[in-house]
Formats: sequence, structure tokens, C-alpha cells
Amino acid sequence: MRRSKKFAFPILVYFLVMLLLVTACSTKGDSSDEAGEGITTVTMWHGLTSIDLDNMNKVVKAFEEKNPTIKMKLVYTESSEGSDQKLLTAVAGGNPPDVALFDRFKVGTWAAQGSLTDLSSMAAESGIRKEMYYPFAWEESSYQGKLYAMPMDTDSRLLFYNKDHFKEVGLDPNKPPQTIAELEAAADKLTIKEGKRFKRIGFIPWYSQGWLYTWGWAFGGEFQDAATGKITANDPKVVEALQWMTDFGKKYNVEDIAGFTSAAGTEEMDPFISGQVSMKISGNFTVKGIEKFKPDLNYGVAPIPTPTGTNFTTWSGGGSAIIPKGAKNVASAWKFLEFLGKEEGQTLLNADSQISVIDSVNDKYGYKDDPIMKEFINILPNSHNRPVIPEGQLLWNELASATEKATRGNGTPKENLDRVTETVNKALEKYDK
Amino acid sequence: MAKLADSVQVNAIPSARKRALRRTNVIGWLFASPWAIGLLCFYAIPMLMSIYFSFTTYSILQPGEFVGMNNYRDLFHDPLFWKSIYNTIYFTVFFVPLSIFFGVALAMMLNMKVKGMAVFRTIFFLPTLVPQVALAVLWMWLLHPNFGLVNGMLANIGIDGPSWLGGESWSKPSLILMSLWGIGQAVVIYLAGLGDIPDEYYEAAQIDGANWFQKTRKVTLPLLTPVIFYNLVMGMIGAFQQFTLPYTLTKGQGTPANSMTFYVMYLYENGFRYFKMGYASAMAWILFIIVMALTGIIFITSKRWVHYQGK
Repeated sequence: MRRSKKFAFPILVYFLVMLLLVTACSTKGDSSDEAGEGITTVTMWHGLTSIDLDNMNKVVKAFEEKNPTIKMKLVYTESSEGSDQKLLTAVAGGNPPDVALFDRFKVGTWAAQGSLTDLSSMAAESGIRKEMYYPFAWEESSYQGKLYAMPMDTDSRLLFYNKDHFKEVGLDPNKPPQTIAELEAAADKLTIKEGKRFKRIGFIPWYSQGWLYTWGWAFGGEFQDAATGKITANDPKVVEALQWMTDFGKKYNVEDIAGFTSAAGTEEMDPFISGQVSMKISGNFTVKGIEKFKPDLNYGVAPIPTPTGTNFTTWSGGGSAIIPKGAKNVASAWKFLEFLGKEEGQTLLNADSQISVIDSVNDKYGYKDDPIMKEFINILPNSHNRPVIPEGQLLWNELASATEKATRGNGTPKENLDRVTETVNKALEKYDK
Repeated sequence: MAKLADSVQVNAIPSARKRALRRTNVIGWLFASPWAIGLLCFYAIPMLMSIYFSFTTYSILQPGEFVGMNNYRDLFHDPLFWKSIYNTIYFTVFFVPLSIFFGVALAMMLNMKVKGMAVFRTIFFLPTLVPQVALAVLWMWLLHPNFGLVNGMLANIGIDGPSWLGGESWSKPSLILMSLWGIGQAVVIYLAGLGDIPDEYYEAAQIDGANWFQKTRKVTLPLLTPVIFYNLVMGMIGAFQQFTLPYTLTKGQGTPANSMTFYVMYLYENGFRYFKMGYASAMAWILFIIVMALTGIIFITSKRWVHYQGK
């Protein structure tokens, strides 16, 4: 008798521990229809903080007032890499959220994997039409002609230039360079080099948002053949752009420049803000950083110079909302996406923060009266989006690596871009079945 | 071997004791089972599955199809795979011996009987508590070629410092330098090893007229070899899995010119950015085989240079 008691206690402890483990591991606790009769809870994963989160809460409030049968549940998942993996696991495990905020750049990849809900027919019914948005925003939310994401916000890239530096070296601060030749001349004047060390660099083509995408389009190139969908990274105009970047690097010695770019991680370290770089290519998303860290910086923005000084262009990315495959409350989730994508939702969502994907909303914000923001909005009708392909990330990495190799004299621009084209097109073959 | 010996003994014991023993065994297993089940579910099964996945085009989101040895064959034709192996081996070959050299040297210094030694020990251990990501950001500042502290100090003594993380030739040495910052962990283990060496040996050596150098060579180092052996194996495995520092420094891009693309970084890239989980699984198994082989070699050679006390 005493013995079995001795035996019973550990067993009891064991089951308690196991019970604890089992309950701790289960996620079923917060099922989606807890809110009672007739009310659907839509779970949304997001990585929003500060003003963006405040705005989203306003959107949710307005939405819930209009749709009393739907309740939104916002779950914060950290942004970028971490949230990707989380969503990936959730979709693979068949237990995804109803809505997730998502970088539009990834729509092609995820859609090709069959992990996003096709929104086309619901959009058509709700009167969500292509014409409502900037063309690139719709384009980047679609894959093979079907809509897979609701575009939310966007950005664009321009030339930032330091007006004080311009005055100092005798350049007209109200006449930023328009052609590539003018850009080179200005960069030359603005650069101060002592021996191997730069005290100041006029311009670094590949710094910040000076990707090959930026220059390839500025030089009039195309990265994808519209008819065949094949990647054309070795388009002669793109090669020309990379050749120009390479020559620029040679002139100033790439290794010497590299120091400026390698350590420039965060906004506080931004060499444009601290006056170590006079001109850079960057996006509207850095405007807030300048306001925060150096509000008195005397700078202007202008379209990215092109060889001819005409046909200015840029490219845009941005966020979107998706319904993962396997989501439980698709109809209610769509209701929210519809609200988010229409004018009212857009107005609440991007106020005082982002650029809307609807042109008329940006009018409302008064962006077109702001000397800096105006430029970012005005360029949008001519903006590009990156090719929507299943291997978007591969193409991005290959282009970045080709740029680096070419500018460091590791093969010619043509050789490097031929290789990119071949690699990516080969990777795309397996989707053509 | 040990198991066999146990069961032989158990058979020799009277049956009442035997039952009691068996019961304690059962209870022991019950208590260990959450861990054992966890190990089985979250390590053993995924590991076995990844062998299978390495022969498929599994993408996480889609099951993928069986493609035999294709992933392995493709890897051998993938220049970035070779580059990442080269980078990883380069790092391991320089980092591991350096970390042992400095680790032992530091431990010996910190083992001296000087007042306030606890403070010094703390100082050398503290950096290991800094998260790797914070460490990376800190070093980006220190190594800034134009405005960084390191080049500033070098300039004071008339040396024109390199562009550190900006150039292919210096990026990996820079990383090795940064990684040595986290040596404190190993130093603690060396210190414990040093404390284990009986004073009698030193006294005997003293009587024989040995100087400091001879004592170090003939007493300290041989008796420290089990600890060095441990740190060598663990250091090598850790070096092969280098990830956080270079990933943070290069924002996952392995810049400049892929000189910072380490094996596990490329594996991660394939698995989670390109959705090539089959390919990544194949990479993982190749890494496993390499690390197993090297560990095996170290174990075999260890018989010649590792001395255990009393043997």
C-alpha cells in the first residue's frame, strides 16, 4: 500500500507536467468564432508600429462600425524575415490567419506556390477595378492576370541633393542635374578627396536606392519582355546603365567609396544627413528620417537624371494585404480588404505617413502642395514595378551581385548581366509546365 | 558497453530488488519522457524527413516531387555553393586556432593570483553577453574606414587603415576580429581547466628548477589539452555555423562580392527566400557530413595529443 502511494505521486506529477506542456503548445485556444452568435472574427497579422499602427486602428474602427457582424483581431508579428517564416509555417501547417500584411514584391513568388487566395472574382463583384490605382500597384499585386493582393501604400525614388553644398561649390541650388552628364559634372565638383580618403563624396550611383533597377529604367532599359515574360537583364540599355556605374566607380576607386556605403546602416549613420555625401538616390521613406535627425537640412529632390534629360522615371514597391490559402473566413476577410482598398480606407490608412496607391487620396493629403512630397507624387504615373515572377528574389539578388561584381571589375557589365539573364530564365523554366 | 554491464549486474540481484530497480527506471523514464518525446518530435523526425526532402523539390508550401540526386548534382555546379564553402572554411581555419591561442593566453593571464582579478575576469566575459546583432552594429561603427575609431587610432601612429568591411580582402579578417570579441565563453572553460591542475605538479617542477616557460610547456598545456580538445570541437562546429554576425553586417546579402556569404547564410537564403527547401536540405546534409568527418578526424588524432590526468 505504502509502495503504491510512493509510485502514485510521481505519476501524478508526470501527468500534470504533460498536461501543462500540451496546453502550452496548443494554439486552438483562440479559435476564430469566439465572439458569440453571428459575429465573425477576422484575424490579421501585421508588423505595424507607431503612426502606421494608429492609422490601421482607425481603419479597423471605421470598418467595424460599418460591418457590425465582423470583428477584426490584429496580431503583431515582427516585420520582415521573422514574419515571413511565421506566415510560411502557418500556411504550410494549414492554420494561417485570415489576412496578412505583405510586401507586394513577394506576391509573384507566393502566388506561384499556390499560397494566396485569388481575389479576382471578389474584386470584380465589389467594384474594385484596375483603373482606381496607379498601374504599377495593380500590376505588382497580380500574377498571371489574376489579383492576389490588395495594394495598400507605395513609394518612389528620386535624387536627393544638398542645397548648401551646391551653393558652396558654385552650383545653382535650384537647378539640380537633369542629365547623366550634368550629374557627373556636379558630382565631380562636390567631391573633396584628400589622398585616399574622401572628406565628402558628391555622388555614389549604387548607394541607398541606386539599384540597377533604378538606373536600368533611367537609361530606358526593360528587365522583362512583356510578350514572352522572359527576363531581359542584358537589355543593351541596362548594360549601358551598368557600364556607366562601373566607369563612375573606376573614376573614384570603388574600394575607397566602399567605406561610405558599408557602414551606412541606419538613419543616424546616413552620410547624406551628416553631410558626407552631397547627392543620393533615395525614396520618400527617408524624408521622415531627415525631419527627425536633421530638420534643418537644406535639401531638395528632383527626378533621377537620365542620359537625355527627358523621360524621367522611377520605380515603386509597397505593402499589400493578402488572404492566405487555407484562411477560414475568406468572405469576411475580403470585406476588410475591400474597405482597405477603397478611398475611405486608403485615406485613413496612409494619413501623414505613406503615399496612397490611389492618386485622388494623395490630392486630399495636400502632398501636391509640399515641395518635397510633390515630386514623389508627380513621378508616380511614370513609375515601374519590378517584374512579377516566381523568382523575384533571385532576380533581385542576382542583379545586386552583378552590379557589385561589375563595379569591382569582376567581369564586364555585359558578361555579368548575360549570366543573370540565363540564371533567372533557367530558374523560371520549371514554372512553365 | 555500460548497459551490458548493468544488465549483468541486475541479473545477479534478488528479484524483490530487481522489481524496485525496474520501478525506479520506469519513473526515471517517465520524468525524462517530455524531453525525450520533444527530441524525437522536433529533432529526430525533422532530421530524417530532411534526408528525404533533400531528394525532392520540396518548397515548404508545396510537397515537391522526387528528383533523386538532382539537388546534390546541382550543388556541385553552383558557384555560390563553392564560394560559401570557401568562405566558411577560410573563417574556420583562421578563427578556431586564433580563438584557442588567445583563449588559452587570456585564461592563463586571468589565472594569476593578483588582487582584483574578479574584475578583469568580468571585463573579459562581458562582451559575450552582448547580442550578436548589437555587436555587429557596434563594429560597423568602429570599423568605418573614414570615421571609425579603429582607423582613427591607426592614423595616429601613421598607418593608413584598410576599408575593412568595404573590401573583399579585408571583410573576412574583420569578421574574425569581431568574432574574437566573444572569446570570453571559452576563457571561462579554460579557467576551470586551469583550476583543475594540481599544485603538486608545479611544486615538483619548481623543485626540478623549471622556469615559467618550461612549466607552461610541460605541465600547464599538456594538462589543459582535454579542455582545448573540447573547445576545438565546439569552436569548429560553431565556426561552420557562422550566421548572425555576417547576416546582420551585410543585411543578408553577403557583400562585398559574396565574400561574406557563409554556408548557413546561403542555406537559409535557399530555404526561406527562394523556397528551395529540398536544395537547402541537401546543403544541410553536406554540412553535416563535413562537420562529422572533421570531428571524427579530430577525435582520432586526439589520442596522440590529449592527455588525461591519471592516464
